[in-house]
Amino acid sequence: MASQDPNTNAASGSGKQDEPTKPPPPKDSKKKDDKKDEDLSDEDLALKQQLELYVERVQDPDPGLQKVALESMRQEIRTSTSSMTSVPKPLKYLRPHYGTLKAYYETMSDSDLRKYLADILSVLALTMSAEGERESLKFRLLGSDGDIGSWGHEYVRNLAGEIAQEYAKRQSDETPFDDLMELVQQIVAFHMRHNAEPEAVDLLMEVEDLDLLVEHVDKTNFKRTCLYLTSSARYLPGPDDMLVLDIAFMIYLKFEEYPNALQIALFLDNKEYVKQVFTSCDDLLRKKQFCYILARHGSNFELNDEMVAEDEEREALQDIINNAKLSEGYLTLARDIEVMEAKTPEDIYKAHLLDGRASAGASVDSARQNLAATFVNAFVNAGFGQDKLMTVPSDASSGGASGNWLFKNKEHGKTSAAASLGTILLWDVDSGLAQIDKYFHSNDNHVIAGALLGVGIVNCSIKMIALALLGEYIDKEDPSIRIGAIMGLGIAYAGAENEQIRSKLTPILNDAKAPLDVITFAAISLGLIYVGSCNEEVAQAIIFALMDRSDAELGEPLARLIPLSLGLLYLGKQESVEATAEVSKTFHEKIRKHCDMTLLSCAYAGTGNVLKVQNLLGHCSQHLEKGETHQGPAVLGIAMIAMAEELGLEMAIRSLEHLLQYGEQNIRRAVPLALGLLCISNPKVTVMDTLSRLSHDTDSEVGMAAVISLGVIGAGTNNARIAAMLRNLSSYYYKDASLLFCVRIAQGLVHLGKGLLTLNPYHSDRFLLSPAALGGIITMLHACLDMKAIILGKYHYVLYFLILAMQPRMLLTVDENLKPLSVPVRVGQAVDVVGQAGRPKTITGFQTHSTPVLLAAGDRAELATEKYIPLSPILEGFVILKENPEYREE
Amino acid sequence: MGQGTPGGLNRQGLPGDRKPDGNDKKEKKFEPAAPPARVGRKQRKQKGPEAAARLPTVTPLTKCKLRLLKLERIKDYLLMEEEFVTNQERLKPQEEKAEEDRSKVDDLRGSPMSVGNLEELIDENHAIVSSSVGPEYYVGILSFVDKDQLEPGCAILMHNKVLSVVGLLQDEVDPMVSVMKVEKAPLESYADIGGLDAQIQEIKEAVELPLTHPELYEDIGIRPPKGVILYGEPGTGKTLLAKAVANSTSATFLRVVGSELIQKYLGDGPKLVRELFRVADDLSPSIVFIDEIDAVGTKRYDAHSGGEREIQRTMLELLNQLDGFDSRGDVKVILATNRIESLDPALLRPGRIDRKIEFPLPDIKTRRRIFQIHTSRMTLADDVNLEEFVMTKDEFSGADIKAICTEAGLLALRERRMKVTHADFKKAKEKVMFKKKEGVPEGLYM
Repeated sequence: MASQDPNTNAASGSGKQDEPTKPPPPKDSKKKDDKKDEDLSDEDLALKQQLELYVERVQDPDPGLQKVALESMRQEIRTSTSSMTSVPKPLKYLRPHYGTLKAYYETMSDSDLRKYLADILSVLALTMSAEGERESLKFRLLGSDGDIGSWGHEYVRNLAGEIAQEYAKRQSDETPFDDLMELVQQIVAFHMRHNAEPEAVDLLMEVEDLDLLVEHVDKTNFKRTCLYLTSSARYLPGPDDMLVLDIAFMIYLKFEEYPNALQIALFLDNKEYVKQVFTSCDDLLRKKQFCYILARHGSNFELNDEMVAEDEEREALQDIINNAKLSEGYLTLARDIEVMEAKTPEDIYKAHLLDGRASAGASVDSARQNLAATFVNAFVNAGFGQDKLMTVPSDASSGGASGNWLFKNKEHGKTSAAASLGTILLWDVDSGLAQIDKYFHSNDNHVIAGALLGVGIVNCSIKMIALALLGEYIDKEDPSIRIGAIMGLGIAYAGAENEQIRSKLTPILNDAKAPLDVITFAAISLGLIYVGSCNEEVAQAIIFALMDRSDAELGEPLARLIPLSLGLLYLGKQESVEATAEVSKTFHEKIRKHCDMTLLSCAYAGTGNVLKVQNLLGHCSQHLEKGETHQGPAVLGIAMIAMAEELGLEMAIRSLEHLLQYGEQNIRRAVPLALGLLCISNPKVTVMDTLSRLSHDTDSEVGMAAVISLGVIGAGTNNARIAAMLRNLSSYYYKDASLLFCVRIAQGLVHLGKGLLTLNPYHSDRFLLSPAALGGIITMLHACLDMKAIILGKYHYVLYFLILAMQPRMLLTVDENLKPLSVPVRVGQAVDVVGQAGRPKTITGFQTHSTPVLLAAGDRAELATEKYIPLSPILEGFVILKENPEYREE
Repeated sequence: MGQGTPGGLNRQGLPGDRKPDGNDKKEKKFEPAAPPARVGRKQRKQKGPEAAARLPTVTPLTKCKLRLLKLERIKDYLLMEEEFVTNQERLKPQEEKAEEDRSKVDDLRGSPMSVGNLEELIDENHAIVSSSVGPEYYVGILSFVDKDQLEPGCAILMHNKVLSVVGLLQDEVDPMVSVMKVEKAPLESYADIGGLDAQIQEIKEAVELPLTHPELYEDIGIRPPKGVILYGEPGTGKTLLAKAVANSTSATFLRVVGSELIQKYLGDGPKLVRELFRVADDLSPSIVFIDEIDAVGTKRYDAHSGGEREIQRTMLELLNQLDGFDSRGDVKVILATNRIESLDPALLRPGRIDRKIEFPLPDIKTRRRIFQIHTSRMTLADDVNLEEFVMTKDEFSGADIKAICTEAGLLALRERRMKVTHADFKKAKEKVMFKKKEGVPEGLYM
């Protein structure tokens, strides 16, 4: 029995590429000694002899006999079944004869029989041929073109693998591969028929001919195919990713899955594709749904009569795109969840839950405390239209205490206070403007500035009338009024690419007399308005503005936001940034590297490009002398790039941990912010723990950044754990006014919109990234890089840039007349179902609610009733429901 | 602001006493440590070695390009981390600094240290401790001790004189369990098993394949079986097969005998089972082999002694671990018994043990193989005709055959012969059969 040592088996196993495991050495495995026949069971022996006979017959000169032998050999191979763990028996017994058959094949004259033999050899090569020889493919090409599936799955898979190798080889040799493509056709058809879409797609990607896919998909498998394509796109290197999405777009169009097609069009940022979706669909209701998707994305799409013929309808649709109904829907949600009741900052601080001491600290009525309360009040009551500080009628009987909150703030504090009214009335243009109006007539410039900013905020993502109101204030004397107006325009028209505003703002950039802060805010506003547009003229204007700045000015913390505005123009546009990046090399050395990092990180934001992350990490690994600031943006850049997909996100969190360990203070200060950006509105426990640790850091700026980030990761979640952490922090830092201010802001963020809002710029199943929202967030985070000078200084209103990212995290179902409709839905944790067999569940651990409902990060919803058909497969935001005509009441 | 000396009685409400913007001053003043994230209650057990160091899971399981791309993405990030860390180490070696810190911490700890028990946490800096003998003390906790991990009842290191808490012992794995891990693979391989083809195939499909090729099951859309039970008469190769599995697999192999799970003290048995499966989960993919499961797994009935009740509780814990609330990922279970009929039905229900593999007495062909395996290294005389024993009507198990061969060898040895003759075999067989009938009363085995 010595011959049965496992080595022989291991050796024979290595030749088989696609066997699930090395074949176990069952009792009748090959043996070279004479005793082997004894070990075979009777049936096995018979089979073996039979096969040997066939092999002999094949070499018989008589073609008739040959044919019979081949036929029966083929029969044996096809009918053999075996366990998953071992090689089919006929193949095993034919192994020793592979050489003979091959030799004989060479001598055969060209005939059908020769082809038959080639077929069989091709199958045998599956287990026999040495690695890299691709004999299976060779014989397949020589054989008869019979049904490829008849030899089983394993064979097809192996062939596909060999084709990929062969293709690569032929491509480098530049030999034609038409014969391969024919085979590819067959294999793809086979895979698509047999639920193996990923394999079909993989093969086509290998041979770079994805177009073939469109012919082969059908109603049953296109969804899974497209899902696979879209999720691969995130990981494929360019330009393959665009190609893959193109194909997915085409397939979705072919099967009239317009909402999905629209999403891909938005992902590609391709206006032509969006138009195509509108023109190829002729159902008005569905078009309305498209408009809702566009509105959520913050796209400034203009409909024309080609897309929607009727003027009236077009206006209605354009209204949806302009978010005119957002406030209404949001308030419906709030009423349904019964959170309309306004909350005071004290309701959020919950000081009574702390031990005695903290309350003593809180009673001190300092300006900074009041400013913090203003922000908390604004964030918590955002969009509700009522609160207990700002909107209370001043003649109310409650009198002085709450009567005029505005004047409890000092100087620039009043700007934020007046603007907070805009936040409270967010999206509600009519009543918003009416209430803010009274401040326009104030004789305090700060108040007017706040009012202007407030108007901008009210119009955030609505883009209708702000320009008319704000335009005239841009060129006023007082810098604070100008800033208010400029920033208001930036927030109101973010992403709108409005020519008129450009012509108004660009002169300010080149105005030598304008103070630095006005210029900075003008640049940021232009950056936001033209976010991701690569607009040459705006870029030029900002570049000139940067070049004109003096040494001293460039040293100002605020000046560092100007490069950011340049970056915003190229947000997510990858290579398009290169020309500008070249120009940036000529900048003053104080800002050159900073600008470089900012541009790089913005241009690749949301792409997941690993090479760029590597580049940024490289910059972070240097140890700098004092005064250089470019590492902060680099750290933020890592987060901006890596936030594109889950894997990169988690790995980036790991990398940031290393940065914390090795980095200098300037890196350590940016790391909490980067963590916040990675998990925005998504309080992951591990990140929460890290931030909680950092919030006690010995460096107070690291602490501040960590505290703000705690607010950002918990934004709009009402997360009790973060709330408790922040409460403890507020008592820990009760003597440190700056840190306490940060804690208060964070508390306000956690309860953003009483838990109805999210800051996450990703939406639609985490597929699409809203550029304006991301722009707002990174502006705020860049400002946080120098907390002391900006947010704790007099520019605290940059916090309002977060409003760009605020969106209700709701699912609101509406009927065909766009009236809210309550239906049961299941809400649960989303499951990644790409490439899974059958019809796997897309959510897990679900609960059934009736709409409107809130969706947390990573949640997905599905309808729990058959009565309606949703017009969008992704149940987020506004979804139009259509009655299901086939529905039967039970 | 140097208030709150380490020895002083710091009240809970005072840690945050610091100057506003205090970071500007150069000289380091004492700052009380940050309060722990939470106090007391046991932290939820982190899965695996270090939750933060774990790589994200990659879906889908099917072998496809998407999976490849995702894995490559993870690899890219890991390479970057490596590059970054090596760069940093080159620029600013942390080793030395860490070494310095460590020696400082060691100085503070002093040596020797004594081991004690944490009785109660008073506030973030103080606790009541007790050593194995003697009274309880109210002592301070040094600032470098990770307070998040302290919890009442855990083992701690104490300073030898002042008894302050200077560290905590974290060896959580029960030494009983670590013994169960098979470090050296047994020598028996599948080749040493005569026959049992079907059984080998079954065990491979149920135990090995799900660990090595989970995607096959995913493709079809089923969940692989969780465990198998091997049953059959004594000496039919159950343990041998388990050994062969341990030999061939690269997964962690934990082996236990049912009787090991019965412990002296109340609650120790279930705890051991829990611990066993926790370790299996930590080291997953892993295979747990419980031999002689009937020691704990017998049918439940009214137990009249505490010991029996304890055994039943141990089994209940086993039931829960096999298919309870927590899902067991890559842990496969192999049970072996020769009295399957006496096992509790709950233990054998599908979902816990999905496959029951019977080990029959060898048939003629198998018998021949077993004889061949055992005689392959013996020098046989020419007259030995094994066929005679192969074809005999007596019922042999594999172990009996081995006994016959050994016995025959011994007989030859006794007579100082170098070869084993046919007569030796005959005698040996009679002896074995006699012993078998004598040693065990007839009719015990059905």
